[in-house]
Amino acid sequence: MIVLEPASYRYPGASSWALPPASLELRPGDVLGVRGANERGNTTLCLVAAGLAPVTIGGRLRGRVLVDGQPTVELAAHQLAQRCGVLFDDPAVQLTGLHGTVYEEVAFGPCNLGLAEAEVHERTRSALRLLDLEHLSGRNPAHLFGGETQLIALAGLREVHERHPYDLGYSRRKLVAIAAVLAMRTPVVVLDEPTTRQDRAGVDRLAAVMGHLRAEGSTLLVVSHDPAFVRRTCDPTVRMAAGRIAYRAAGS
Amino acid sequence: MAVAVALLTAVAALRAGRVRRLAVAVLALLPVAASSLLINTLLPAGGGGVTTAVAALLKLLGVTLPLTLLFATTEPPDLLNDLEDRGLGRRTVFVLGAALAAVPRAQARAAVEVIEAQRARGLDTEGSWRRRTRGVLPLVTPLVIGSLAEVEDRALALEVRAFGALGRRTVLYPLPDSGQQRLARWAMAAVLALGLAARAAFALAGR
Repeated sequence: MIVLEPASYRYPGASSWALPPASLELRPGDVLGVRGANERGNTTLCLVAAGLAPVTIGGRLRGRVLVDGQPTVELAAHQLAQRCGVLFDDPAVQLTGLHGTVYEEVAFGPCNLGLAEAEVHERTRSALRLLDLEHLSGRNPAHLFGGETQLIALAGLREVHERHPYDLGYSRRKLVAIAAVLAMRTPVVVLDEPTTRQDRAGVDRLAAVMGHLRAEGSTLLVVSHDPAFVRRTCDPTVRMAAGRIAYRAAGS
Repeated sequence: MAVAVALLTAVAALRAGRVRRLAVAVLALLPVAASSLLINTLLPAGGGGVTTAVAALLKLLGVTLPLTLLFATTEPPDLLNDLEDRGLGRRTVFVLGAALAAVPRAQARAAVEVIEAQRARGLDTEGSWRRRTRGVLPLVTPLVIGSLAEVEDRALALEVRAFGALGRRTVLYPLPDSGQQRLARWAMAAVLALGLAARAAFALAGR
């Protein structure tokens, strides 16, 4: 659940408000699509709704933002991370750069939570499967995926097993970043431009992932420049204009 | 002691199939060995003679060979995993991991992002060595600034993945640790302790 009642935000050192007073209320299972041209406050809305602004990046918040029923300013960054998953527009910001394989990168979040080893593997496998990324996972896939390795070999994808996350192209790196968000299994998910540079198959996969999250009862806020994707996956839709939430429309 | 360490390292390298890597490290030390020999035997102010030169070289081998073998046989993520499994804090492991990952990351950035960006602006990064040398300087500044800017991104990436959570992290791939390995480690610690004790005893006896 995300509630902005109403909230405005100013970046550190800035003289003007990047997000003028905005109100929102998203309940479990809601999927809100946000559209708007560049520099209209889309990303700022994501950061505020996820609590990163001001908890992690600083700045000034006026009003209250609640994530999963808790005011964001009362939570530590790691507590926020367990309530709200965030996908950044640029996947390079999302990846830690510490891990040599996609699998380890996706498992990083669950490992931080100190979960049982079996649960970390289950979450990681599940996130990679949802995004059809098992073939990129790297490091001993036979152990991780059992018989599916043969299918990977048959598909001629064995050569990409050992790929470093930074060696992947932008679109796949973005999918890895989304898998990392999914592996955290947060009740709230904020996605900033998930479809950037995805081909048709990638967009379809993302639509399926969002359907899965919705069915699980997650609250989703999705910023996208792709009107067809927003219409297909979100309900309702809002448009950002000069930092303000300009109008609301029902999705398809 | 240095001879024993060098021999042990050679045996371990033989077992691990990393003799070639070790040989390269020894070859890399040849210029140092030659200059040490030169200073100790030919120059009047040098002192020590051949014995001192050989002793210095053995000490150098004793320090460099085990480290070379460690990084030739152990992947940095495995090393970090194991350190974490043995109770090292997540922040310390992160600092070590970030330091180890920084060099390949900077290489990749220089090789792809920075060079391509500079080429697009007309910088000549190919051709004769003079041209290439001239082309290096404009790469350094964006590389350093880019690496510093990346620190902020990394911090954000860690925060949204609950890096600051309390308690122990899960170790994804605990490494097997056989009885033989444990025995070998204890034996090496014992040899080290004996060596230090012997050295102290010699020093006291020589007073």
